[in-house]
Amino acid sequence: MTWYDSLLQQLVDGLVLGAFYALVALGYTMVFGVIKLLNFAHGDLYMTGAFAGFGGLSLVSGVLGAGWLGIFVAMLLAMLAVGCLGVVIERVAYHPMLGAPRLSILITALAVSLVLQNAALSLTGGQYTAFRTDLGFGGLNLGNLFLSYNQIVLVATAGVLMIALELFVSRTAYGRAMRAVAIDKEMCRMLGINVSAVIAVTFFIGSGLAAAAGTMAGAYYGSIWYFMGFLIGLKAFTAAVIGGIGSITGAMLGGLILGLLESFGTHIPFIGSEWKDVFTFSILILVLVLKPTGLLGKSEVERM
Amino acid sequence: MSQFRNLIVSTALLGLSVSSLAMAQEPPITLGVQVPTTGSEATYGQDMFNAMQLAAEEINAAAGGLLDGRQIELVTGDSACDPQQSVNAASRLASREVVGVVGGYCSGATQPTLKTYGDANIPFVIVAANSTQLIPANPGNAVMINSTGDDQAKTALDFFEGKGIESLAIVNQGDAYSQDLANLTRDAWTEAGHEVAAFEYVNKGEQDFSALVNKIRGSGADAVFWTAYYADGGLLVRQLRQRGFQGTIAVGDGSNSPKLFDIAGQAAEGVFAFSNPTADFLPAAEQFIADYEAEFDSAPGPYAPLAYDGLQLMAWAIGKAGSTDADAIIEALNSADGQEWLAGPISFTPQHTLARSNFVVLEGQGGRWTRYAP
Repeated sequence: MTWYDSLLQQLVDGLVLGAFYALVALGYTMVFGVIKLLNFAHGDLYMTGAFAGFGGLSLVSGVLGAGWLGIFVAMLLAMLAVGCLGVVIERVAYHPMLGAPRLSILITALAVSLVLQNAALSLTGGQYTAFRTDLGFGGLNLGNLFLSYNQIVLVATAGVLMIALELFVSRTAYGRAMRAVAIDKEMCRMLGINVSAVIAVTFFIGSGLAAAAGTMAGAYYGSIWYFMGFLIGLKAFTAAVIGGIGSITGAMLGGLILGLLESFGTHIPFIGSEWKDVFTFSILILVLVLKPTGLLGKSEVERM
Repeated sequence: MSQFRNLIVSTALLGLSVSSLAMAQEPPITLGVQVPTTGSEATYGQDMFNAMQLAAEEINAAAGGLLDGRQIELVTGDSACDPQQSVNAASRLASREVVGVVGGYCSGATQPTLKTYGDANIPFVIVAANSTQLIPANPGNAVMINSTGDDQAKTALDFFEGKGIESLAIVNQGDAYSQDLANLTRDAWTEAGHEVAAFEYVNKGEQDFSALVNKIRGSGADAVFWTAYYADGGLLVRQLRQRGFQGTIAVGDGSNSPKLFDIAGQAAEGVFAFSNPTADFLPAAEQFIADYEAEFDSAPGPYAPLAYDGLQLMAWAIGKAGSTDADAIIEALNSADGQEWLAGPISFTPQHTLARSNFVVLEGQGGRWTRYAP
């Protein structure tokens, strides 16, 4: 492989990884935009989504098979289920706390994260669950560049979801209401916008996207377990911060950048892959020093 | 859930049988079992606990217990394969004043507990953990009945040389066990005059190894040696084959679980694993396999024989010491002089490690491990 091929391959792999990070980062950023909460349970919704997708697939695989069609339907089911779970969590755990100091609601989010994790732990006995699919290993060989069909479908699905979200937020009445609530909740209430409903929709969409990423990750990598949300939750949070937390396009950009950084970080000449995270997180510090609001974050109140 | 519940129910049942059988005036002998019953290595931990439970039941039933009719009672401490959790579990076991502790699966999680048990002067039989880093950390109250990383590195060297491998990629996970094995193998490999094409590290719990796989392919390695555990190892094997890596893949003894086939699927075919002798490959284990399957409805896993031996050895040492005095038991453990146990003879070096190598090479065929004969 020449350095050029290798570079291209890193680019492709970084994009795939980045697509996962971006999908999860979107949920972080949307929730932060609307109620200024760092929802630390978000990574665990990704994990719950992976298990919901697994359950969904065993439901539909009899009829639809365990190929992309079956997985797609399972993913929709998981998005619906986890989206509703997200709304319930918001109603039960966060809503009563909205008037409380910011720190209290942050601790509540950590508690929700532990509840989800430990519920999954006792339901699965802490075991890895094999996520069996009929997806093959095939792919396109473009010269020395390898692009598996799974990667193509995955990035395309993530892309469609992100475009749909962008359209929803910029073109629909609910999207407009969401942006308005992000700017000034009180004013919205006075103008007759149902703020509670807008917050619920935000949680539904954010959790649904995490579930989509969870199901796709399960199908793509082939195994799921109760702790899988922790690392990706941390990384997605990082991605959201790099892009500018509260900004939707920022989350997408941050996810892709983080994926690329990790991919290239493995290949820095003369030092081993154990330096990958040092490299990645040094860049994060650099970004925050130079632009504390993140790449696309704005310093004024409007965040969406 | 069912695994977890099984554990609780079986512990309770064991306690029940103990209390009904024991002569009311004799207090039971409480032994601690330190294994991961949750987390990534829970499969192994459950399996080891089952084997020890089997051993305890046999001793309680056949010999009427130890020291004139005192029954053995097991209490678990969940190490979760995590250094912090295992220290907590060890402190809890120590505070319950257990007579001895049997267990230790993940080396990284076992290492800090050595001090806990050492300070409390509790005899400790380490059944599976085998990093060489445990040797200097052992205050003298522990013995290791599995062969150490040194022996495995030697087995790996012989295997790769036998396969005609020229340049090797070694991947570890940065914990005591896998890093130790990776370092030992690298040293043995370069000393023998071969090339290490890549020496890499991945985070535990990371799922995407594409960049690493590209690097390995670009390095021209004709074999990959994964020195860490099966859960992430299965993902690496899968992604290596998915991306067309054609060379030899071998995994260390932390990855020789049947679960590797669940996770890696088709890609695990033809993968080699180094292993302490598992029950299937032990001539003396036929009765053990039958008993285990009858009681637990599943085949014994790779560390079940060692776990069974560990508990039997502890019981033997208590019998030999003639009391529950810690110093006497530790002395009895170290005096083991090569008696035959399920997994072979046990005697110890002055460093309290097993005085022989017990590694064999396995090959993945048809969704299970078979003994590899070159």
